[in-house]
Amino acid sequence: MAIDQELKIEMGKQGVFVTTIQELYNWGRRSSVWPMQFGLACCAIEMIATTMARYDLARFGAEVFRPSPRQADLMIVAGTVTKKMAPQVVRLYNQMAEPKYVIAMGACAISGGPFKQGYNVLKGIDRYMPVDVHIPGCPPRPEALIQAFMTLQKKIDSHHLTGEGRPRYLDPDAPGEFKVPEPGEHDLEPASNQGVWPVPVVIR
Amino acid sequence: MSWSPYFSLTILFVVALGFGLAPLALAQLWAKTFSPAKPNAIKNAIYECGLESKGDAWVQFRSAYYLYAIIFLIFDVEAVFLLPFAVAFTGLTAGACVAMLIFALLLLEGLAWAWAKGVLTWE
Amino acid sequence: MKTVEEIKAAIEAAVPGAKVEIVPNPGPSGEHSLLLGHEQAVEVARFLRDDPELALDYLSNVTGVDWLDKEVTEKVKVKRQVTKTVDGVEQTVEETVDETRKHVEPGYLEAVYHLFSMARKHGPVVLRLRTGNRTDQVEVPSLTMLWRAAEFQEREVFDLYGIVFKGHPDLRRILMWEGFKDHPMRKDYVEPDDYEYEPTAHDQVLKRAQAHQAQAAAMGQEGAGAGQ
Repeated sequence: MAIDQELKIEMGKQGVFVTTIQELYNWGRRSSVWPMQFGLACCAIEMIATTMARYDLARFGAEVFRPSPRQADLMIVAGTVTKKMAPQVVRLYNQMAEPKYVIAMGACAISGGPFKQGYNVLKGIDRYMPVDVHIPGCPPRPEALIQAFMTLQKKIDSHHLTGEGRPRYLDPDAPGEFKVPEPGEHDLEPASNQGVWPVPVVIR
Repeated sequence: MSWSPYFSLTILFVVALGFGLAPLALAQLWAKTFSPAKPNAIKNAIYECGLESKGDAWVQFRSAYYLYAIIFLIFDVEAVFLLPFAVAFTGLTAGACVAMLIFALLLLEGLAWAWAKGVLTWE
Repeated sequence: MKTVEEIKAAIEAAVPGAKVEIVPNPGPSGEHSLLLGHEQAVEVARFLRDDPELALDYLSNVTGVDWLDKEVTEKVKVKRQVTKTVDGVEQTVEETVDETRKHVEPGYLEAVYHLFSMARKHGPVVLRLRTGNRTDQVEVPSLTMLWRAAEFQEREVFDLYGIVFKGHPDLRRILMWEGFKDHPMRKDYVEPDDYEYEPTAHDQVLKRAQAHQAQAAAMGQEGAGAGQ
C-alpha cells in the first residue's frame, strides 16, 4: 500500500507518477482553495494587494474570491472584528459549505490588536470559530498572507481521509454548527464558545 | 445483416451520456463514503450577507421597469450601429445612407409608438 | 468675527429671556464657549444660524463630555461667639476661625457643538448644553432640525454618553447594538471582563488578566495540567 517515498521521487524523475486517493484528494483540495470575498478593515487592503499582479495569489489556486459563502472554502478574517460584526462573521462561517478553513489575518483578528482594551472589539475571532492559521502583523504584508496560504496548504496535505487524525469535516460526529453569539446587554453572549475555544493555559 | 446507419450515433449518444454521468456518480459515491452531510438551520438559512433575513425574498417589481429597459435597449442597439456608420460616413454611397436613415426611422417609430401609448409617463 | 461677549449680547438682544452664560477657556486659544439654557436653546441656535452677521451655517461636530461628581474642599472664615475668661471676668468674644468645608458639586453630562460659517468664513463658535445630572435628568434639546449634520452625531452622543436629545427625529443607538444597556464613554463605565487569555499581558491588560491567571493557576494545580 504505502510506497517508498524515495522510490516515488525516483519514479517521478523517470516520468512515472504514482499516487494514492488521499494524496489526489488533498492535492485537489489545496489547489483550489477559494476564499470568501469580504474584508473588515485595513488588512483587507493587504488581502486585495495579495490577489493583484505583483503578489498573485492565483499561483496557489486561490484567486477566485467568491461573493457567497456557499461557494467559498476559506474565510480570511481580514481586519478588526467588532462585537457588533462578530455574529455576522460567525453566521457567514456557518453558512459556508464543508470543508471550510479559516485564516485569522492581522493583530485585530487574532487578539483584538490595538483595540484590545476597548469596549467594542472582539479579542480574537478564535473565540467563536476554529481558526486554522493565525497571521500576526498590523497589517501583515502580502508575503505573510501567502505564507499563511502555504501553511494552510501544508495542513490540508497532511489530512487523512479516515481514522483518528481526520479533519473535522470528514468526521460525522464532529460539530458542523458553531454558536452564533447574541448581542447581550453588556457584551456578546456567550463571551466565547467553550467548545471551540477552551481558555488556553498560559505557560511561563 | 446490415447495421442501421444510425447505430453508430446511438453508441456515441450512450458514450456521451456516460461521459457526463460517470463523474457525477463518482462524486456522489465519494460524498457518500467520505464526507458526512452536516446540514443545520443556520447553514440552510437564506444568505443575507451574514444578517438574519427578514420577510420574503419574492418581491414583485412594476412591469413599467421592463418597458423602460426595452426602450433603453432600442437606443443601445442603435448606438452600436450608428457608431461604425459615422466612422465610415465619408466613404459610403447614397444608398447606404438611405438604408441607415430607414433603420433609424424604424427605431424612432418604435419610440413614437411607445410614447403615444403613454409608456414614458411614470405614474 | 464677534467676540463671545458680543455674541452673547446679540443673542440677548434678539432672543428675549435667553439664558446664555460664557464658559471661559483658560488655554492659549481662548476659545470661550456659550452655555445655553434649555428653554431658549433652539431659538438661540436658530438666531446664530440665520443672523446675517454670524451666519453659522455649518455644524462641524457634536461631542459629549462626562463631568463626574466633584468634591470641593474650601476654607471658609467663620465668626463665632466664644466665651472666654479674660482677666478673671467671663466675657463673650467674637472670634474668626478657619473652617474646612466639603461639598459635592453634582456631575452632569454636556453636549458640545462647534459651529462655523461657510458664508462668512469664520468660526468656531462653541455651544454647550448641560444636563441636570448624570442619572435621571439627562435630557437636552436637540438641534437636528437646524443642522442636519447633528442627526448622526447626536445619535452617537446618545449612544456613548446617554444624553437624550429631545426633539431628535430618530434617536437610536448608532455604534453599539440595540439592546445594549451601557454608555461606554462615560467615566464610570465598567467594561466586560474578557481577559481570560493574555499571553503577553502588560500594563492595564496585565492588571485585568491577573485575576484570571490566578484562577487558571489554581485550576491547573487541581486538574494536574488539564486543558494544556
